[in-house]
Amino acid sequence: MSRLTVSWSCIVIASVLAACDRRAVPQRDTATDDFGDTIVVAAAPARIVSLNPTTTELLYAIGAGARLVGRTSYDIIPAAVTAVPDLGPGLRPNVEAVLSARPDLVILYASEDNRDAARRLRAAHVPTVAYKVDRIADFARVTLAIGRMTGDTAAARITVDTVGRTLASTLARTAALPHPRVFWFLWESPLLAVGGGSFLSEMLKVAGARNVYDSLPEPSPSVTFEDLVRRDPDIILASAATRARMLTDARWRTLRAVRERRVLVFDTTIVNGPSARVGASAVALAALLHPGAFAP
Amino acid sequence: MTTARWCLLALTLAAAVVAGIMVGTLPLSPNVVLRGLLGTAAPMDIAVVRELRLPRVLLAALVGAGLGAAGAALQGATRNVLAEPYLLGVSGGAAMGAVIAVALGARAPLVPLAGFAGALGAVALTLLVARAAGGRGDARIVLMAGVVVGAFANAAIMVALAGADASVVRGALWWMMGSAADASWVSVRSLALYVAVGIAILLLLARAIDVLALGEETAAGMGVDVARVALGVYVAGALLAAGTVAAAGLVGFVGLLVPHLVRMTGARTHRSIISGAALAGATLVVMADLLARIAHPPAELPLGAITALLGVPFFLARLRRLA
Repeated sequence: MSRLTVSWSCIVIASVLAACDRRAVPQRDTATDDFGDTIVVAAAPARIVSLNPTTTELLYAIGAGARLVGRTSYDIIPAAVTAVPDLGPGLRPNVEAVLSARPDLVILYASEDNRDAARRLRAAHVPTVAYKVDRIADFARVTLAIGRMTGDTAAARITVDTVGRTLASTLARTAALPHPRVFWFLWESPLLAVGGGSFLSEMLKVAGARNVYDSLPEPSPSVTFEDLVRRDPDIILASAATRARMLTDARWRTLRAVRERRVLVFDTTIVNGPSARVGASAVALAALLHPGAFAP
Repeated sequence: MTTARWCLLALTLAAAVVAGIMVGTLPLSPNVVLRGLLGTAAPMDIAVVRELRLPRVLLAALVGAGLGAAGAALQGATRNVLAEPYLLGVSGGAAMGAVIAVALGARAPLVPLAGFAGALGAVALTLLVARAAGGRGDARIVLMAGVVVGAFANAAIMVALAGADASVVRGALWWMMGSAADASWVSVRSLALYVAVGIAILLLLARAIDVLALGEETAAGMGVDVARVALGVYVAGALLAAGTVAAAGLVGFVGLLVPHLVRMTGARTHRSIISGAALAGATLVVMADLLARIAHPPAELPLGAITALLGVPFFLARLRRLA
């Protein structure tokens, strides 16, 4: 737990140091993305396509949302994004559809199945970067990198610092509270849980809880029902509809947490990825898990 | 087949290729497309025409040519009008080899080789099963064996993907649905080699297939080495299936549909049926790929699903007539 506090302090200090040599006007700049590719980005790109809901949300957070000219079909946050043209899927995107937005910067999710799209977009002379935004540390790193590219360095730093401070203070306030063991439900068939590889597992730590599947390295591992019964979680997190189904379902009622009605409803739209709302979400989660002891 | 009909086939293919290059998600005027081809348009438009559309259309044409020719030859050699790479388990075997290679982390050049091994394995298995049942000449037994081998290949793919990374699973699924979206000049060149060699072998065997179509005993009586010709057709069919699966995934029913259409135009010898099926197959897949690109923008429809939607009603109608 203290490791998180230390890493956030490091990010804040690094940000302050970096702010000292801030340039007033963004230059043509190079960036190295999570595919390990170095690309030249135009000074202050004016037509940005973001094909990852998390980076889309990030762009709005740092004030670059108005320059967005394309998004995926899955981008719904913030509400303003629905007015931006829908360019289809974010994994294996339709390259021609992306080019039809005439972008001067494309931000992809750094999944292996997007390598080909990145290569094709660059061949069409469109600066393209790919970032993995899976963990809370990725949020700070990618926000700063994208802020530098779009010329919104100061806003990116403020966003990262604010979220960092919120997470650090939440962690400090929940540290002394008892940590319930939580199963975070993602999907029914197959049964998918939030695993240790997900930022949601990190968020649970910050909010003063332990994920029963924290030891699994995948972000959303498939688990068996019997294994879940064996792990006997204290609390289950699920959507409102799933909660209603669990409470009346004989199979789910084999779980102690369901029988004792300790199935809590949490906004599942956060599942997209660790974006600027990750701080506020951690606070809301802490308040949900520790009613009375933790008031936001 | 008359010269006029050959010209019609060639012109239809040319029209399909032109449409494939002209039309896409990004609206480009014919003038811009032309300047893109010549390299005098804006860099992004040149890239769209030269790097996205042109290789894609050519790849689709090669896939169609390969599958059409393979279907025509397999139908002739097995004297089974329902034979085609997909139904004989050859495509399934190729997909099994390729997906297992990808799941094991194999690099690009090894994947078609693994596909080829899988395709040959599937052909061998299908024929062994059919022969054990005493039915190499029996259309129904060969088909049934092919379908079962295809189902086995499918199951093997599922097992290979069970523990695989999510991006590998997405990639494999994409592949099994068939798509020309990943076309590049590298894949066009390598598929061109497979298709050229495969079709050349089939054309060399065309006369023998004509004789084989009269019946194995008749052919043997006329001095044709039946086993060798059949082996040649299966190997060439496996080569074509492996090449197309590696380049564009599973694109089914083209090999079934196209030879019938060509025979309906009056082609009788296998030299003209195979050549005609290559041309018509290319046209069909280029058109199907165009439909896949523009039917539901910005998402793309799976190419294999479109060819199956066209092929299945045809297959059912043929079955009904045979019954």
